[in-house]
Amino acid sequence: MKLSKNVEILDGLPVIRIRSLSAIVCTDLHLGYEGVMADNGTFLPKVNLKKIKDTLKIAEEITGAKRIIVDGDIKNEFSKVHVEEFNEFREFVEYLKGDLGVKEITLIKGNHDNFIDRLKEPLKITVHRQETLIDDFLFFHGEEAPMSKGGELLIMGHVHPAISVPNGIGKFEKLKCFLYGDLKDGRKLLVLPAMNYFADGVSVNFEDISKMAPVFRKLADADKMRAFCIGEGETLDFGVIGDLRNL
Amino acid sequence: MIVSCKAPFSREESLGSLNQFIRVWFEKKYVNPTPPQLYSFKLVKEGKSILITAPTGSGKTFSAFMSILSDLMNMSLEGKLEEKIYCIYVSPLRALNNDVFKNLTEPLEDIYSGISIDIKKITVGIRTGDTKPSERQRQLAHPPNILVTTPESLAIILNSPKFAENMKNVKYVVIDELHELANNKRGVHLSLSIERLVDLVGKELIRVGMGATLHPLDEAARFLVGYRDGKERDCHVVDATWEKKLDFEVICPVKDIINARDEKIENSIYKIINDIIKKNKTTLVFTNTRSGTERVVYNLSKRFGYDEQAIAAHHGSLSRETRLEVEEMLKKGKLKCAVSSTSLELGLDIGSIDNVVQLGSPKSVARAVQRIGRSGHRFNDVARGEVIVTNRDDLVECAVMLDSAIKRHLDSFSTPANAMDVLAQHIVGMSLEKKWKVEDALELVRRAYAYRNLSVHDFDLLIKYLSGLYVGLESRRVYGKIWYDENERAFGKRGKFARLIYYLNLGTIPDEVSIDVLTKDSKWIGSIEEEFLARLKPGDIFVLGGKPYRFEYARIMKCYVSDAAGEIPTIPPWFSEQLPLTYELAINIGKFRSLLSTAMGHSINKNQEVIKKIVKGTLTPDAECRKVLDAMPMDQNSKTSVFNYFAEQLLFAGYVPTDKLVLIETTEDDNDGKNIVVFHSLYGRRVNDALSRIFAIVLAEMYDVDIGININDNGFALFTDENTKIGKNDVSKAIGMLKGIDVENLLKTNIRRTEMMRRRFRYCAARSFMVLRNYKGRKISVRKQQVNSALLLKSVEELGEDFPVLKETYREIFEDVMDLPRAKEIIEGLISGNLSYRIIETKLPSPFSHGVITFGEADVIMMKDRRKHIRELHKRVLSKIGVSKNEIKQKRRNIRRPSGN
Repeated sequence: MKLSKNVEILDGLPVIRIRSLSAIVCTDLHLGYEGVMADNGTFLPKVNLKKIKDTLKIAEEITGAKRIIVDGDIKNEFSKVHVEEFNEFREFVEYLKGDLGVKEITLIKGNHDNFIDRLKEPLKITVHRQETLIDDFLFFHGEEAPMSKGGELLIMGHVHPAISVPNGIGKFEKLKCFLYGDLKDGRKLLVLPAMNYFADGVSVNFEDISKMAPVFRKLADADKMRAFCIGEGETLDFGVIGDLRNL
Repeated sequence: MIVSCKAPFSREESLGSLNQFIRVWFEKKYVNPTPPQLYSFKLVKEGKSILITAPTGSGKTFSAFMSILSDLMNMSLEGKLEEKIYCIYVSPLRALNNDVFKNLTEPLEDIYSGISIDIKKITVGIRTGDTKPSERQRQLAHPPNILVTTPESLAIILNSPKFAENMKNVKYVVIDELHELANNKRGVHLSLSIERLVDLVGKELIRVGMGATLHPLDEAARFLVGYRDGKERDCHVVDATWEKKLDFEVICPVKDIINARDEKIENSIYKIINDIIKKNKTTLVFTNTRSGTERVVYNLSKRFGYDEQAIAAHHGSLSRETRLEVEEMLKKGKLKCAVSSTSLELGLDIGSIDNVVQLGSPKSVARAVQRIGRSGHRFNDVARGEVIVTNRDDLVECAVMLDSAIKRHLDSFSTPANAMDVLAQHIVGMSLEKKWKVEDALELVRRAYAYRNLSVHDFDLLIKYLSGLYVGLESRRVYGKIWYDENERAFGKRGKFARLIYYLNLGTIPDEVSIDVLTKDSKWIGSIEEEFLARLKPGDIFVLGGKPYRFEYARIMKCYVSDAAGEIPTIPPWFSEQLPLTYELAINIGKFRSLLSTAMGHSINKNQEVIKKIVKGTLTPDAECRKVLDAMPMDQNSKTSVFNYFAEQLLFAGYVPTDKLVLIETTEDDNDGKNIVVFHSLYGRRVNDALSRIFAIVLAEMYDVDIGININDNGFALFTDENTKIGKNDVSKAIGMLKGIDVENLLKTNIRRTEMMRRRFRYCAARSFMVLRNYKGRKISVRKQQVNSALLLKSVEELGEDFPVLKETYREIFEDVMDLPRAKEIIEGLISGNLSYRIIETKLPSPFSHGVITFGEADVIMMKDRRKHIRELHKRVLSKIGVSKNEIKQKRRNIRRPSGN
């Protein structure tokens, strides 16, 4: 699904492609999630990294992109680097560079990405501390509102957007989605869904996301954002959030 | 061999088998042994294992203990009694343990006061989750001769190296309330503990089991004694269940329960209960839920001015102090009335009860007998009780239940077989003891009744799971719970946390992931289950604790509501864990339906006069119908209501569904336009659980839609959206399509995404130590524990179907939750014609279908094609927000445009 000549959501995937940058962009991987959960007594099978690799492999095959931008929260724990996170992070980088032949990995730091700086030298990745303007695109993770007035399209993660949809026989289902719309100053905003396998998402049509994402307090109106949901091999336009509040 | 005892020993033979001091005391106190004691004194003395079933007040405790005390007394006189544990008593209830402790220590004091010589006294100790650390320390230094404990505490002390040392001389094990254990995983857990105890002691134990009646008794005996070298151990069975006389009746609170308003029914129920309370010294009321208990106490107090000294509630959610206080007041005869859900059903000593009132159906004959048997404490007293029904479906159910009790037709129980999750806990426990050869461990496990047929393959898979072989080498340190050497085929302890995991997480009763329900100003109202929350959208009205609330919004683990007093609920109540009606009872109800509807066949016709009378409720039964009705233990109001209920159904639908006739009704809900197919299949919820899903799967595939289901004991309803009407022909086509189909496989591939699957998986994962409540000595907050159940399940499916936790989930669903074999029989009957079915179309749901449409366990069978499913959701949303069909098509075309390269 094309958002513009340059920017496109890959059908059925939580990934976008930016042609001018020859890049694919994703967010909220939360690598090491199972390890952190195991520390808390829940022994999940290890599937997150495997699924992320599968997804990025498909994205790379479709686009041939040799640059990957991760828009924050590549790892899971706030306060430390868990050994499982380190292992998975390294495995992830090796997979991208080796198997997929990715030349450049760019990471925008998110609120879970403390201590990631010390890994950038040995693993040869680019780490941006906060928001970063790359050509016309302003990347920021989303836990804070963007400061820069630059860029035409702002790209964020953090929210883990999804919408809750009634199935007609008494139940609601959550579908992960992208949010796309205008900022009040005329720029565009795109919120990416989480890549993490275990994150089923926040119901943006039932919850007030301005609490977790300050960009929706003054700069943008969540109700006017469009939800593009991830289906099976396709992406579906569900209209604007404001219309989905009373399903 | 299991031996059924028919002839009791004589009084002299029985008393003569006792130690002299014990005998003197017994004769002074009780004079004559009760019927079960005339078997047990001598048999236990001879070292036989024995199962005793008998009602309350039959001296069950002494049936077991007299000979044991006698043996210990003899040892003491010979100077052989040491500070060691010789007997372990296990009951599922802490309160009962306190009772038994008292009922042993007081007689012992009494006995010793009559003995002038100085001998070593028999000691009794109690060990439960409530036991203080100081007392535990004391028990370690000075072990009691008789230890009173619970299944969970037993499992813990077995793994305490020092305490286990004190148990190496155990000779007797007494298991009380066996009927509460033999049919569930808690009992399975206990049976493994006992086999581990036998292994620890190094020789066979004398086992005494006690309980209310169980059917079949032989299987209950096998559960008690287990197997050795592939053969069942010997056991004697004493059945004294029916020695106590029962006197009971079904009471219908109003003349016409079908047309009476709720308020009138409620007023009448409380008036009837109050009349019974006034007539008797002490009355015990049973409800089926804890909230029901609270409601009854509240209403009786408010309506008739009883205070806390006269009437009290007793259930598991109350504090221990409150419960003890209520029990004390009952024993002293101070209370007029106690109201309980299940907690007073077991053998707690509660003094003399004159009358039992059961509100609503207790769902099984055995439970009805057990509850009513609580009245008339002395063995020779007649137990007196009333069952008051609250709705029309209960009416027939309760009458047939009491009729079955009179005829001594009992429902059967079954023990969960080869449960992997329970076994996982014990394997971790065993690994902490010593290094085990896999073969030796398997042999021990197979001695327990529930695991007698366990396969080597399944056992190996479990060892593989527990040793962490499912994850990579680098994570095994964290994931593995036991050490395992594949070459040596031996396992043992791994890591420093294994013991803590075992101690802090063992047990089989699942923690519900409960969501707190709060008002917006954060006042706590109650809690709901995670799955129920998933059904709610803002504005929905649901009932909690008897009051309606409007759902406003949800936060993590919290749900905010506002008061919706006076409004009608939009979401049916949540019935996930209600007790199912047993199959045998369901069949008997079906037979009664057949009997009465045949008798009525003559008088019900579409004659205008008759119709007028039925509508007014003034049609009276003729002689033939009266004969059928009068044979049932119910009052006049009940008979009138049953008759009217059947008459309405016959007039409206032309058929009353029976044990041999499944009525299928296609209809619609005029409230929200949903289309409904009701299957009146009166076979109990366990059968319907399977049947409903099988039909939903076939029809969902046929129509390519999602189908909602509602299940109860009398049948099930399938719901489709307003645009999908399932036709009569397609229903019979669906029945035909089931011919020769492997329904187990059909279910397996289709229930993955159901709520039942998720819930059961979560329970099994917790029991298998895959999701811990407590880790490394700290309690895991529910928020941290909380991974979305659906995703947890999905991730586990990546490991394949052989993964023991997943396998156990399917086993639990197919064998414990559902009754798949009988569901298969029903389907085969429908196909072959042994069972008749009629498909009718109605404009409104028929009288017999109201229950299953509004009340029951709800779930959804989703269409198989995920892509189509999401498109369906898409279409639904867009049409709801007012986008036209053409526009939807246009949108989809845009979306489908290839991404290009």
